[in-house]
Amino acid sequence: MKRNSEASGLQTGTKISGVAHLVLVGVAIFGGAFQSEPLPFEVHEVSMISAEQFAAMTASRQPPDIAAQPIAMNEPDQDTGTPDLTASSDPTPAQTIPEQTTRPAQDGEPATLPDQPAPEAEATDTAPVLTPPQPAVVILPQNPTVRPQPRPVDRVAPVPVAAPPPDVAPAEVETPAVNPDEGAETPQDPAEATAPEEASERIVTEAEANEEPTSLAPVRSPRPPARPVAPPATTPPATTPPATTPRTAVNDALAEAMTGGAPATSPATPAPTGPPLTGGEKDGLRVAVSKCWNVGSLSSAALQTTVVVGVSMTQDGKPETGSIRLLSSSGGPEAAAKQAFEAARRAIIRCGSKGFDLPAEKYGQWRDIEMTFNPERMRIK
Amino acid sequence: MIRFLGTLLACLVVGIAMLAQSATAQQGPLRIEITEGVIEPLPFAVPDFVSDNASAAKYGAQLSRVIAADLAGTGLFREIPAKAFISPITDFGAPIKYADWKAINAQALIAGAVTVSGSRLTVQFRVYDVFSGAELGNGLQFVGKTDGLRRMAHKVADAVYSRITGEGGYFDSRVAFVSEVGPKNDRRKRLAIMDYDGAGVQYLTDSATIVLAPRFSPSGDRLLYTSYETGFPRIFVMDVGKVKRRMLDSPEGTMSFAPRFAPNGKTVVFSLAQGGNTDLYTMGVNNGKRTRLTSAPSIETAPSFSPDGRQIVFESDRSGAQQLYIMPASGGEARRISFGKGRYGTPVWSPRGDMIAFTKQSKGRFHIGVMRIDGSEERLLTASFLDEGPSWAPNGRVIMFTRETQGASGRASLYSVDITGRNLRPVRTPDGASDPSWSPLQQ
Repeated sequence: MKRNSEASGLQTGTKISGVAHLVLVGVAIFGGAFQSEPLPFEVHEVSMISAEQFAAMTASRQPPDIAAQPIAMNEPDQDTGTPDLTASSDPTPAQTIPEQTTRPAQDGEPATLPDQPAPEAEATDTAPVLTPPQPAVVILPQNPTVRPQPRPVDRVAPVPVAAPPPDVAPAEVETPAVNPDEGAETPQDPAEATAPEEASERIVTEAEANEEPTSLAPVRSPRPPARPVAPPATTPPATTPPATTPRTAVNDALAEAMTGGAPATSPATPAPTGPPLTGGEKDGLRVAVSKCWNVGSLSSAALQTTVVVGVSMTQDGKPETGSIRLLSSSGGPEAAAKQAFEAARRAIIRCGSKGFDLPAEKYGQWRDIEMTFNPERMRIK
Repeated sequence: MIRFLGTLLACLVVGIAMLAQSATAQQGPLRIEITEGVIEPLPFAVPDFVSDNASAAKYGAQLSRVIAADLAGTGLFREIPAKAFISPITDFGAPIKYADWKAINAQALIAGAVTVSGSRLTVQFRVYDVFSGAELGNGLQFVGKTDGLRRMAHKVADAVYSRITGEGGYFDSRVAFVSEVGPKNDRRKRLAIMDYDGAGVQYLTDSATIVLAPRFSPSGDRLLYTSYETGFPRIFVMDVGKVKRRMLDSPEGTMSFAPRFAPNGKTVVFSLAQGGNTDLYTMGVNNGKRTRLTSAPSIETAPSFSPDGRQIVFESDRSGAQQLYIMPASGGEARRISFGKGRYGTPVWSPRGDMIAFTKQSKGRFHIGVMRIDGSEERLLTASFLDEGPSWAPNGRVIMFTRETQGASGRASLYSVDITGRNLRPVRTPDGASDPSWSPLQQ
């Protein structure tokens, strides 16, 4: 029973397959699957003409007639006179010897160089010393424009400042006045205009202020650079071996590594972390402190004294007042160092009261700062 | 084997950690150097001194005004007006509200109290560094009489000045000068003395004779001056307290002038003109013993001792023009220290010993200038029709001099200027004034 059903199933499949193949073959034959496209060909139109018409067309192209006999040639004309055979010479033309001139070399033409004396052979035992090119020192002439004469003012600052309008409040930066607009959506706080105080870059005495304006003519001219002179040959200094033995160097390196790279004298100071401050960031701090470093009330002795001041900073850039300390001083007595330190301390506290503009992500670098206050350049103001 | 590998691994980890640390580490704290600052007056506040009764309140207000004028007059300080105060001081012993004084940018605060008992005046004060939140030095107290209020205020100002600047003050000092009245062709002159600021003028001589060039002694109790009382210039010495004078010994037929005390106060150096020649001499004030210092055919005059008494600076035309020279106090070879264009005169040695003030005439104008004792760093501080006769303040920071205006009715007056050339200002006197001589600080 089961076998019969399986056999009938196989027969059914065979039938279906056969029918399908037949249909497919029929479609292929009658559907044009085996027909090819006709090859392309060119068609030219022609016209028929008669023999007379062809003769008329070719008549103008007939070759010329050729004579059957050659034509006789004419005799040439004979000269009857005998030529004069006496020897004579042509007069020699007067020749003038041109002056020898040097012809200018034409473009693209090789010029003839005069003979060059052969250089004498030089042979030295010492290697030549290369002279580094000396920088050309050029003194620029003075600006011919009349420079404004500095005026004596109460304030001397590194950058001169013009007199502000009379109705503004003194401040470190110039800000316009703010008048709150009643119709504004965001309320504004009224603020008065501020401007930096008038300042000169140096002290101007009455004698200097009354000086006559200088001439427009430059008082100095650039001096030609001197001929470079080869420096005397020097024997290279004998390199002395380091005093430390490899054993000691290894020990030092190990000791430095064990202390984290910090000097061995201050093992208690933690090493700063984070990326170092850029030059611009350091300059910003330097300028900020300079604005408040007032040396006008210092004694002459204090103006001779350089002090190094240490200060610890909070994370918001403000100095910790109690941490400001005098680390060292030089150039003056103790009393003068005390005055100089107090002026430096006032500068740090005053200009740091709102926080110095320092990058917070580098706090580890500026948590502890040592500021050297050197008044040397202020003495000559 | 496993133990060895573990040790090796640990060493590698430690080494990498150390390398990373050394790559980011900075040697010590951040270091910066500041070489540019500002030069400007330091703002200060001096409220009226606290008083316990109405009569004393008057003195408290006067004291604060004199102190403020002293400090502001130096050009080194700037007073913050009282109307800007946020919390006036009403109790001398109360804690200072630094924030209120910081808010008005007062960098120094002077707080004081005054009590009056009869004619007895007691003044107490303290100086505060506002931004440091600390007192500068200790509190001080002065006791005096009510008529000495100005002197007490000057002493307070001197103490404040000294604590802030680090150098001595000059407010409790006096100035001797020649008071001048009348036109140039009929000018009457007399010696006078006053406080450094022009207050309390007292006349020491009448105007019957011409007097010139008063010079204080190192202790400030005597004056040397030149008088034409005898018809010729002669040197006199006067006791300032008693206003008694006597003429120093001088040979007949000579003229003596331009006197100045030696630092010991016992010797005088002066010019003596004899036989058409002027030379320098010293003379004992008490014994009259005279010593000749120069013997050149040129004119030597205007001598001034160095503070240590070892050298003398003077003017001489021995080179053909008026220049400055320095020689040993006992005489001897002199060396020239002025080499600029123009004529130099009236040199005065600074009390500090490091500078010399002088008068210079150049291109038709007169200047007061200063230079180092070797002649270097010459700097002209003033310029006018006629400036002359510099005199140093006791602390060597300020110079007072005479300025005379042009014309027949020109008036002589006194001016002061800081040695930096700043703060040029007139000294107010009731009449014309010339030839100032600044005294040392009063005891």
